[in-house]
Amino acid sequence: MSRETEPTSPESSTASTQARLAIVRRELASLRSEKTIVLAIGIQLFIALFSSFLVVGLVSLYDPGSVDGYEMTVAVTGDDTDELLAAANEQEGLETRTYADRGGAYAAFEDRSVAAVLDASRDAEGRLAVRVTAPDEGIGTTLLIVQLRDTLETVEHDERRANAESGRLESAPLSMPEAAGASPYFGFTYTILIPLLCFLPVFISGSIAVDSLIEERQRATLELLRVAPLSLADIVDAKLVATAALAPIQAAVWLVLLAWNGTPIVHPSALVALVAALAVLVVGLGMAVALTSPDRRQAQLLYSGAIVGALIVASVLPEHPANTVAKFAVGSATATTWLLLAVYCGLGVAAFLALRAGVDRLNPDAL
Amino acid sequence: MRPRRIARVARWEVSRSAGTVDRKTILVLVAMALLVGVVGVSVLGSGAGLEDGLYRVGVDADQSDGNPYVDVVESNPQFTLEETTYAEFAGGDSDADVFVDGSGRLGSDGTAKGDAAHTAFRDAIDRYNHDLMRVEVDEYAAYPVLVSIQYQQRSQTGASGSNSGSSAGAGSNAGDGSSGSTGGGSGSSDPSVSGDARTATGDGDGSGDSRLQIPDVGGGSLGESVDAGTPGAISPPFPFQSLVLAFLFVVPMNFVIQAYGSTIMDERIKRRGELLLVAPITSTEIVAGKTLPYLLGVLGIVAAITVAIEGGLLSVLAALPIALLFLAATFVGALLARSFKELTFVTVAISVFLTTYTFVPAIFTDVTPIALISPLTLIVMDLQGESATLGEYLFSTGAFYLGSLVLFVLGIGIYREEDLFTQKPIPAKVVDALASRIHGYRHVPLLSILFIPFVFAGQLLAVALLFALPAHLALPILFLVISVLEELAKSVHVYAGFARSRFEASLGTAVVVGTLAGAGFFVGEKFTHVVQFVGLPDLEIGLAAFGPALSTEPLVLAVLFFVPLVLHVVTAVISAIGASRGRTGYAIAFTVAVLVHTGYNLGVIGLVS
Repeated sequence: MSRETEPTSPESSTASTQARLAIVRRELASLRSEKTIVLAIGIQLFIALFSSFLVVGLVSLYDPGSVDGYEMTVAVTGDDTDELLAAANEQEGLETRTYADRGGAYAAFEDRSVAAVLDASRDAEGRLAVRVTAPDEGIGTTLLIVQLRDTLETVEHDERRANAESGRLESAPLSMPEAAGASPYFGFTYTILIPLLCFLPVFISGSIAVDSLIEERQRATLELLRVAPLSLADIVDAKLVATAALAPIQAAVWLVLLAWNGTPIVHPSALVALVAALAVLVVGLGMAVALTSPDRRQAQLLYSGAIVGALIVASVLPEHPANTVAKFAVGSATATTWLLLAVYCGLGVAAFLALRAGVDRLNPDAL
Repeated sequence: MRPRRIARVARWEVSRSAGTVDRKTILVLVAMALLVGVVGVSVLGSGAGLEDGLYRVGVDADQSDGNPYVDVVESNPQFTLEETTYAEFAGGDSDADVFVDGSGRLGSDGTAKGDAAHTAFRDAIDRYNHDLMRVEVDEYAAYPVLVSIQYQQRSQTGASGSNSGSSAGAGSNAGDGSSGSTGGGSGSSDPSVSGDARTATGDGDGSGDSRLQIPDVGGGSLGESVDAGTPGAISPPFPFQSLVLAFLFVVPMNFVIQAYGSTIMDERIKRRGELLLVAPITSTEIVAGKTLPYLLGVLGIVAAITVAIEGGLLSVLAALPIALLFLAATFVGALLARSFKELTFVTVAISVFLTTYTFVPAIFTDVTPIALISPLTLIVMDLQGESATLGEYLFSTGAFYLGSLVLFVLGIGIYREEDLFTQKPIPAKVVDALASRIHGYRHVPLLSILFIPFVFAGQLLAVALLFALPAHLALPILFLVISVLEELAKSVHVYAGFARSRFEASLGTAVVVGTLAGAGFFVGEKFTHVVQFVGLPDLEIGLAAFGPALSTEPLVLAVLFFVPLVLHVVTAVISAIGASRGRTGYAIAFTVAVLVHTGYNLGVIGLVS
């Protein structure tokens, strides 16, 4: 057994380093020759594209103001239209036309000269009852309804303030500041997209580690590897380094691309360090699963179950890891955020040492 | 194919799989599930907290007692409070992203983050106000506006008087009176739609089956639905809930294909599958037997979900082809993959791709009938209480059934010793798979036709992805992609035939095979048009994208009908001649064919516009 003759002299330690490097190279070469890494990056790109596509689509559904030159005319009729008219005329992209009689308004709706009819009147309790008649015409209706909702909320706000002044409410609603033209994708980019792009490489690396080790076991090529002048722990180490190193590199590339695309990252080095620490932790977990599970199906099941579970359980932390990533990226990091980074780094080192200790105690022939 | 043999392989597969799951794994999984369950339930109310502490709101340190907006900051975890002064904030010496004073003036620090914080804080004030109003005693004063929305179909005849006011709502083709087809998925083929009105009281759930004329004013239901009828409770007609529920059907499939991929791959490791191969059963029976338990498993899960969310038979019927395609794609992936690593990525790629392909169109269920290209749309419709016609079902699922059939057929072709247990390059295996299905000229046009579902899917995906690019860039790329896909579908099996010596490598054979491949593709393409006409008479978009514009002149019509035939045959013959000369010849000829095809398409567009 090679591990009994642990090399100590300087020459043999360089030889051992070279042997480990050879395993690292072999691991990376197998990824390259199978184009696995290309597929992995392709998948990440597709997920990022897809989620961005969804968000852009949903935002433009819920925020039609971002669609330029969008104007709709609605008919306003009924007994009490003043407040409605005032609010609607302030709303961008919405024009009003007042009709004294309801029949005229509905006729205009029917011949398509107005997009909707708003029929406003007071009910017995002094509330403003608005009956909206909108066309059943798909996406256009969605945009219209969103516009009308904003208008009606303004009316509601004005009414409430009036009610508060006349003493009918105990606490007056706070007045709303003017709206500002912010990018609707800002929050999504920092709280979803960047955490996603930081964590996906980590999970993928872990998955590669599980597969790589399980396959060597099932194809009995681990046996061949152990002929090399290295202990099993060295082999596992080398595999861990090779796969875990991929994650921070990918994350760094994503961050550079994002910055290049006009999304500044405030603490990129902290993020890369975080990804590296998590990668060592997750790949270490994957290796441990792969060394203890009987076959691939169960290893993958355990690994993906553990990852999903860990993401949920992480909510009990003062900050969810995704929140930590977002804070580093957007520049709102607090002392807790930095402390958590240190904890993750410590956990990474601990996982590495624990795996090494565990493998040393394992009987290689039982694998 | 004997059912008894298939059943025996299936039983063996189940008992073997069940045997490998050891007690330790189950214990660990149960423990994890318990922990996650406990934590998950405890944090359920507070949300994931992804946005916590993202923005810093500055307030004046001296006046923070009298500032009502401090409460807003403290009530919302998204913000942290930063005590500063306005002078410091304006000078850029403060960490705060926005500054708010007691009278509600809100200032951003001018960065993108500050602007985003401004918008977010405005929303937070809105939510804070909402919470204030919820505890008020005088409900009439707290909720002073009541809204009811009535969706009404407008008659089509008034379309000529369309003006700027309504054109945005009526879509771009308001002139021909067909815009009404964008109704509730069933389109204008449903004669009862005119004058039919649906009412939603804005309480968020799908409004499909509440066909009330009179709006629910909400006066009598003070108890649970106080919000019903307030402006904030209006939700646009968007089948969000049904969509999320429909997504539930796809999620378990992703787990099942992991196990299915493993079992197929397992057969290939250490020649384990050889025992089955030498048994007196055909490879089709082996594959059917190994697939059956997983298919039944998925169907069982689907049925359970359907019962749980109160869907109908249509949901199960629509989930079946999705499950089949998931399994078929994984089957081929597991046969081609060279290692577990590669298999993992192949299955993840399949999951991501198929989930996207089924999910994205379903978002537009209520918007356009083209959403029916995804069977998930049928599930959304089913959950909304609508029904689908047989034509709609076939249109929606046909491509999925056909696609999975083709994948299984090709995969079974290489379920044999020389492909299962050798480390061949993937292209060589693909060529093997194709060649295993070519035993004569008659198979050439057949394969061309069978590839059409994949061409269809690829083209739709290209349209969806290129949608974001500017039109002058997107259009040429789109035409290039379409040509590449169509030429590939017409020539790849021809190349496989020549490469595996199914045909004699002569010029005459190449011309015959190329003509057959091109003509077959043409017939298949026309057949899909017929299907579109029968299944979805109001689907102009599909015609615009996949077929020539129709003219009323019979001669023009005939020319328009047969010119594509000539095109397909000519390009197919070009690549067939190349294919008969080996790999390099095929690559060159294929490029030429693609260029001819793209040139033709661009020329047609130039002529039309």
